[in-house]
Parts: sequence; C-alpha cells; structure tokens
Amino acid sequence: MNPITLTEDEKDVLQELMNVAYGNATAVVAEMLDAFATLSIPNIKVMETSALLEEFQSLKGSSYFFSTQAFVGEFSGESAFFIDNESAQNLSTHLELESEDDLDDAILELTNVLTSSLTTRLAQEMDTEVRFSLPSISKVPLGEIANNQTFKEYSQVIVIDTQLIFEDQKINGEIFILTKDGSIEWLKNRLNIILEALM
Amino acid sequence: MAEESTQHYLRSSDVNDKLVSSIDNGIIILDAELKIHYYNKWLEIHTSIKEVDILGKSIGDVFSNINIKTLQRKISTALRMGTPTFYTASTSKYLIPIAINQLKVSDFEHMRQDVSIIPFDVEKKLIALIITDQTNMINTHNLLEANIEIVKELNNELVKERETIDERVLLVKINNKNTITDVSHAYLELFGYDKNDILEEDYFDREKLYLQGELKDELLFHMQEQKVFKFEKITTDSKGKEFWLLNTIVPEYDINAQHIGFIIFAENITSAKLIQEHQEKLLANSRTAAMGEMISMIAHQWRQPLSVINTIIATLKIKKELDMLDNETIDESYTKIEKTVAYLSETIDDFRNFFKQNKELKLITIDALFEKSTHLLKSEMEANDIEYILEIDKDIEIATYQNELVQSIINLLKNSVDAFKENPHENQKITVKGYELSTHVTIEIIDNAGGINEEIISKIFEPYFSTKSKNGTGLGLYVCKTIIEDHLKGKITIRSQDIETKILIELPKKLHVQKEI
Repeated sequence: MNPITLTEDEKDVLQELMNVAYGNATAVVAEMLDAFATLSIPNIKVMETSALLEEFQSLKGSSYFFSTQAFVGEFSGESAFFIDNESAQNLSTHLELESEDDLDDAILELTNVLTSSLTTRLAQEMDTEVRFSLPSISKVPLGEIANNQTFKEYSQVIVIDTQLIFEDQKINGEIFILTKDGSIEWLKNRLNIILEALM
Repeated sequence: MAEESTQHYLRSSDVNDKLVSSIDNGIIILDAELKIHYYNKWLEIHTSIKEVDILGKSIGDVFSNINIKTLQRKISTALRMGTPTFYTASTSKYLIPIAINQLKVSDFEHMRQDVSIIPFDVEKKLIALIITDQTNMINTHNLLEANIEIVKELNNELVKERETIDERVLLVKINNKNTITDVSHAYLELFGYDKNDILEEDYFDREKLYLQGELKDELLFHMQEQKVFKFEKITTDSKGKEFWLLNTIVPEYDINAQHIGFIIFAENITSAKLIQEHQEKLLANSRTAAMGEMISMIAHQWRQPLSVINTIIATLKIKKELDMLDNETIDESYTKIEKTVAYLSETIDDFRNFFKQNKELKLITIDALFEKSTHLLKSEMEANDIEYILEIDKDIEIATYQNELVQSIINLLKNSVDAFKENPHENQKITVKGYELSTHVTIEIIDNAGGINEEIISKIFEPYFSTKSKNGTGLGLYVCKTIIEDHLKGKITIRSQDIETKILIELPKKLHVQKEI
C-alpha cells in the first residue's frame, strides 16, 4: 500500500484547524493548572511508524512518562503524550501533589485535556463526533518504546507534535496523535471538502 | 402507527430512571459547589447511604477521603471543555470508599473505580460522576504485572546465561542447508576470526580439509536422522594453527518443534590430545623395552631345547661313527627334534602374539590368562628357586583386551622375579589370587621379595621411576597403570608391608568399549 501523504493545501487547512483547537486547549490547560501556559504551534506530519519511533529516540532524557488515550468515531485513533521525568516532577511541585499516584493522575488529566480539546475541536470543524476512553499511563524507558504494542498497530501516523510550555515552571510535554490508515484517508477527504468550500 | 406509539411510549416512560437505577454503575450528580443532587440505587446499596440523607450535602462532607481540590479541578476542566475528565482506577484507586470482601481480590480493602466526570448541564454547572467497578480488572492487572516481573527476571537470567554461553562456550549454529547462522564470541576469540568471516558460509565447505570420508558420512547420517553425534576433528585458526576439537552436534528445533538446524558445541581438547600423543610415545618406548626383556626371556627359554637338539645331533653323529645308527634311533631322534622345534616355534608365536595390538575383546578365564603370562617366565622362576602359587577360582571369565592385560601381568611378575634376583633369600614365593565380585574381577599378585620403602611407594607408578639397580627403564609400572586404568577401565593399587608386596588389580568383567573415532 502506497503511503498516504497530505498535500501542502491539506496540511495548511489541518494546521489552521489545529491552531484553533490548540488555542482552546491552551486556555483549558492554563485554567486547569492555574498558570500561564502556551502551546507551541503544532507541527503536522504524516509519517511511517518506524520514522516516528526514531523521533521518540531523539527525545532527550532517560525516562519518560508515556500516556495514551483512545478516541473513537469516524475519526479514530490514539493520542500519545510524553513528558520527561524532570517536567513531571515540576508539575507535581506546581500542583502541590502528595504522591506518585497523584502525579500519574495529573499527567493523565493533562493527556485527556490535550487529546479532548484537540480532537473534539477538530471533529467539530469536520462535522463529526468523537468519544474518549479512559487514558492509561505507563512509565517507560525510551529504549522500550519500540517494543510497545501501541505503535505496532499503526503503519502510518499523523503526528501533531506540540510543546506545552509554562512561563514559570520548566514543564515540557509532547503529544502525538496516532491514527490508522483508514482515518488518515477520512481526514484527507474531509480536508478536501473544507478546501473546496473555501475556494 | 403501532411502532410510533411504542416509540412514544418508550420516550414518555421513565426509562432513564429505570435504567439508571438498575445499571451496574454508580452515578452522582454534583453542582459546582460539589453539592449532591442525585445518588443512584447502586451507590445506595454499595455504601449503605440513602439518597435522602445526603441530598444537598457537599460530597467532601460525606466522604472525607476525597481530595476536594483535585475534584474541583477536574469538574471545572470538564465544564470548560464540554468533554469528560476522569479518575482512573490504576492511579487514583477509588473515589467513593466501598468496602469489598471477595476472596479472590482480598488484596484490596476498597473497590477500585474508574470515574468519568461528564458535563451534565453546562449552564447550571452540573456534572455527573459515573463510577465503574474495576476491582477485578485491577486485580488481574496486578497479577499480570507480578507475572511480567517474574518473566522479566527469568528473561534476564536467560540473557545472562546466553551471554555466559557466548563468552565461554565454543558454539556454531547452522541451518538445514548447513549454512552457518551464528557463532559464539568464545569461538571467534579462540580462533581469531571475525563473525563476518564465518556467517553465511557452508559448514562443510569451511571444514572440508578435516571433515571428509567416513567421518563426514557418519556426521551426515546422524544429521539426517536428527540425532546427537560426537566427533573429534582438527580445525585451524585464522593463522593456520591446528586445534583438536571434540564436537557434539545437536539438532535444534523452534518453538513449534520444527527442525531448524543444528548446534555444534565444541570442546578444545588440544592439550588432552598432546598428553595422549605423549603417552602413546611412552607406551611405544615401553613396548620396545619390554621386547628387549622378552628376547632375553626367549633366549633363556631356547637354551634348554637347543641343547636338547644339540645333544640329539651329537648322539646321532657318534652313533653313526660307531656304526650303531639304526632306523629306530633315527626315527626317535627326528620325532624328538620335531617336538623341540615345535616348542621353539610356539615360543616365538607366543612372543609375537604378545606384541600384536589386538583391538577385539576376548573372553578368557583368569587361570588361562596366567598360564599364558607365565609360560615364558616359568623357567626363570625355577632357575631362581621361586615358588609360584596360583589360587584362582575356577572358571572366572573376563572380556577384555587379552594381550594388553597379559603384557601387564608379565611386567608385574617379571618385577617380582627381578626383585628376588636382587635380593635372594630362602622361601621365595609369588602367589597369585583371583576372585570374582558382582561386576568386577580382582587379581592379587603377592611376593615376599623384600617389600617397597614407604617413601617411594607413592611414586612407583610415575613414568621414569625405577627401583632397579640396572636395566630399569622406569616405564614398566607406569605402562601397567596406563593399560589397566585407561585402556581396560580397571584400577591398580600397590601395598607393601615388611618384606611383602601386594599388587591389587580390579577389572570390569565386561569391558564396555567406546566407539573408536
């Protein structure tokens, strides 16, 4: 199967949609954490899973918190959120969390907020609906990510890579939206409908 | 119409209420101040708290374990986003404390819960908490985690063992097409090869110089039959230096028991081979020495029959000169000479037989063995006034390499005779005893030729050690020990007290022969 690629126009539309979605997400995250936060402009790519795994390898830090959340609907897939150990500890300090479990819970909340606000908004713009399952978390050394079954399920992924940056705290996280080939095609069609409407 | 009225009936009935009270989930509706507006039947039953008793109360007052700050954060986020937020059982354990008393999940005091916080009425800022019992799931998850840990540990051990094998064991793997697929680090290090020099090569091509003919055929036969096979062969390192390897080829199977190739484990036996070669040289030397001794024994043996022939001839000569030679005397003389010559010939045959290396096991009785052994020594014993006593149980049979054993026995008896010659005294005796045990035969050779000094008895079986003042090669007893213990799989010990020396030989009744390679 030939890899599906997004044209420059399609990418532009998706980028616009993402910007809107992330504006929304930033406000929610800022409110949730009671701190001024910004999200970097999302970087959108369609890539093969193997290339994505290489990208993960380039993330710095020895161990990462890695959480995933599935979303279902016409546009379905899974989001993967990475936050390094140092950022996670800073998040814990900021939220005055008492235990490791509380920290895990906060990371899951962050994953949920980012996934929900991103995909819900994206779905709204594309005239569809998505539902979310509970997120799950695991703390994995980066070396083991390549063995993770989650990534083996996807031949290609849309990577919407953004950084979560706080003004006072050093908290960086990256979120990747993983969708299967079918959803990428669906997304491509929807983007073209929007494009035609714009013409 | 009927369908429409049914639909209408369903919509107008209190279906939601009925469902909500019967589903297997807890449902609480809260406002922004966390006051309880709804508490479903499921929760009433599980917490033994009636809805009427808590309506309008803050959830934090009812359940003091709840972290209000976190709950408020989750609620406001859900209301802000218009999508659910969550508590997960794996990280937050539970929100509403519900005691459980199931045997299979006795690790937990409280039910593990997933909680979804759903915006119920955004305008009125009402949210619904949907509680799902995940106790079994978490219990299974924990069990799984524990087992994963065990598997990880086992895997680590396996990896370590694999590394140890790689570092220490000489190992080559080949597939069904005889292509080398893997080779251990130890192998590469010993032979100075790079892995890439060896991988993907044909095993038989690589080893063709030293793996051919019958050995190759036998190896291929065992491979075809998927049987384990041991073989010794030479191999060379990257610089051409030769090594002796004892190889064991073992069929390899995959997880589905499909035959995928072979593993060849090799043991470097170069040093052992050198020792063996050295031993063989020593044995050859000793054989030459023994031959010398034998010749002197034959000379001794021949002296008397030769003088008999001489006498007969002299008698014939005299009788002829005196004209007294009749046919009867001639016939008698011929017969005597014939007999004596036959005896001489027999002596030579015996001599030849002793030095013929026989590779076939022979069944022989112990007394016949000693009969053969003393054939050449008897006259020397008689000449030196040595009494020879045989006390061997009759019909004890032994299956062994006869000539090698006879050679050893002659050696031992000759030692006793020589000891008597060096230290002659009255009442000289060599006694041989033989008796049978369940799997072994024991032979004792006892002499009273003066005994052996305690200080040297421990060195007596070492090569080049001799107590004889002349003509001693120092190999006799060493060779006896090598033959009896290494070739005949027996045991030889020596004891000495006062003037008596006792040599004890234990031999298996039937020698189990290892296949010669």
